[in-house]
Amino acid sequence: MSGVSYIEKILGSRELLYTLLLLSVILPIIHPLGIPIEVSKRTRDVYSYIETNLRQECHVYIEVYYEVAARGELEPNLIALTKHLFDKNCKIVYGSLSAFGVIAFSLFRSMASDLFEDKVYGRDYVYLGYIAGGEAAAASLARSIKGTISVDNFGNRLEDLPLMKEVDKATDFNLVVIASSGTDVFAYYVRQWHTPYNVPLLFAALSVIAPSIEPFVGAKQAVGMLVGQRSAAEYEVLVGRLGLGIASMDAQSTSHMLIVAFIGIGNILYWGKRLSSRRGGGK
Amino acid sequence: MSLVARRYTPQIIVTIIILLSIAFYYLYINRDVAGAFSTADKALSDWAVIITSFALIVGGIDILRFHLTKVRKEGLKQAPFSLVSIGLLVTMVIFALIGWYISYSNPAAGIAITTQPQFRWLYLNLYAPADAAVYSILVFYIASASYRAFRVRNPMALLLLVTALIVVFGNTTIGGVVWPGFLPLRDWIMTVPNTAAFRPITIGAGLGTVVLGLRLLTWRETSWMGRRE
Repeated sequence: MSGVSYIEKILGSRELLYTLLLLSVILPIIHPLGIPIEVSKRTRDVYSYIETNLRQECHVYIEVYYEVAARGELEPNLIALTKHLFDKNCKIVYGSLSAFGVIAFSLFRSMASDLFEDKVYGRDYVYLGYIAGGEAAAASLARSIKGTISVDNFGNRLEDLPLMKEVDKATDFNLVVIASSGTDVFAYYVRQWHTPYNVPLLFAALSVIAPSIEPFVGAKQAVGMLVGQRSAAEYEVLVGRLGLGIASMDAQSTSHMLIVAFIGIGNILYWGKRLSSRRGGGK
Repeated sequence: MSLVARRYTPQIIVTIIILLSIAFYYLYINRDVAGAFSTADKALSDWAVIITSFALIVGGIDILRFHLTKVRKEGLKQAPFSLVSIGLLVTMVIFALIGWYISYSNPAAGIAITTQPQFRWLYLNLYAPADAAVYSILVFYIASASYRAFRVRNPMALLLLVTALIVVFGNTTIGGVVWPGFLPLRDWIMTVPNTAAFRPITIGAGLGTVVLGLRLLTWRETSWMGRRE
């Protein structure tokens, strides 16, 4: 066995790669490296939009549409955005077009309990719970929330909640935030909330689906987009509440660098073998 | 069942729904017309919400039927897996029904289906960790695949690799330490070449949906009724 093949065999073993990957994720979380983070223009634009366009006590609708698996990327974004909106005394109505959203909201609420400490349920924020129906439900909510559902996630009658006396339809909201791990729901809101009622949309998406919804942002159908953990970390820096986003960035850096290193080594070995076989063939 | 009941009635219903949906969405000529439409428009979308809610019940029954059929056909080999699925399904439904009953009998308790303690406990402690664990496993496959598959075999593969590296470095904090230009370059890739590639796909999907709508409207599309013609 040649030297190149031997090295390739060792590096090619899944056990080695998996162990190194596990360590590259766990160790930076235990011992943070503290690599400084630069805030990108796109994240700063989202922050500036909220700062300049939303007045005090504005109304915001937030769609919580992600499963627990996507929590690592989207929950820090949601917490940072909620912090920013609550700092401006905005009133928030949360809703979910996905059944998973209920548990995602529950976990988000417990992770961000400090943000809700001085907020009163029903007056400052409301969670509608799961609303079945996909795009049809989005269309129905845009016309009338109280006409679509009569109780919130906790069984409270919507007409008894003070916040729900102030808002009912799409045009009552100054901004709609969609935190989603699926691509379809962004299109639902573009078609049913933005196009007919011109409600500003803001996207918070997983890194892996962000490319597919980028055209909506480019076409100004959304005011901006926060993408994955990096945007969450940047937004945490901007709002001054460091959390899971920034804590995970070191782990993201080391694990990504490990993968890059393995890609590099894989290519060196590949070209080494290719060139040596060419030389061998020429003899 | 007669041909009328099996074929024509569902198609007539679908045709009416399509025509109404088009009218409600596109024919907002002025406020008066919009006002006249709004009640019927709202009713139509409410129907969709109600039908979807009932479809969830049908889905639950279908899962039950699927597993019972599978156990009957495959016997003991399949039984343990199906038993776990059926057991969990029934358990969740029972706790959900308890929550639903409490929400009506004692609204002051503030307990609904999803906030029923046992339902919530199972969801948080059984489903949530399992879901997160399954998704987390992906990272190992991706890492392994990137090592094996990302080979620069030709100039196009080199272009793909360079683009991927820029995005990866742009997504990490260490990228900014290596070269501050990675972040704006990543944003440019996402907003310009990526959008240029995805916009035709989005438009194509939209046109495909229009064609599907037209096929449904002209009764050429029948696969949704369970037949191919």
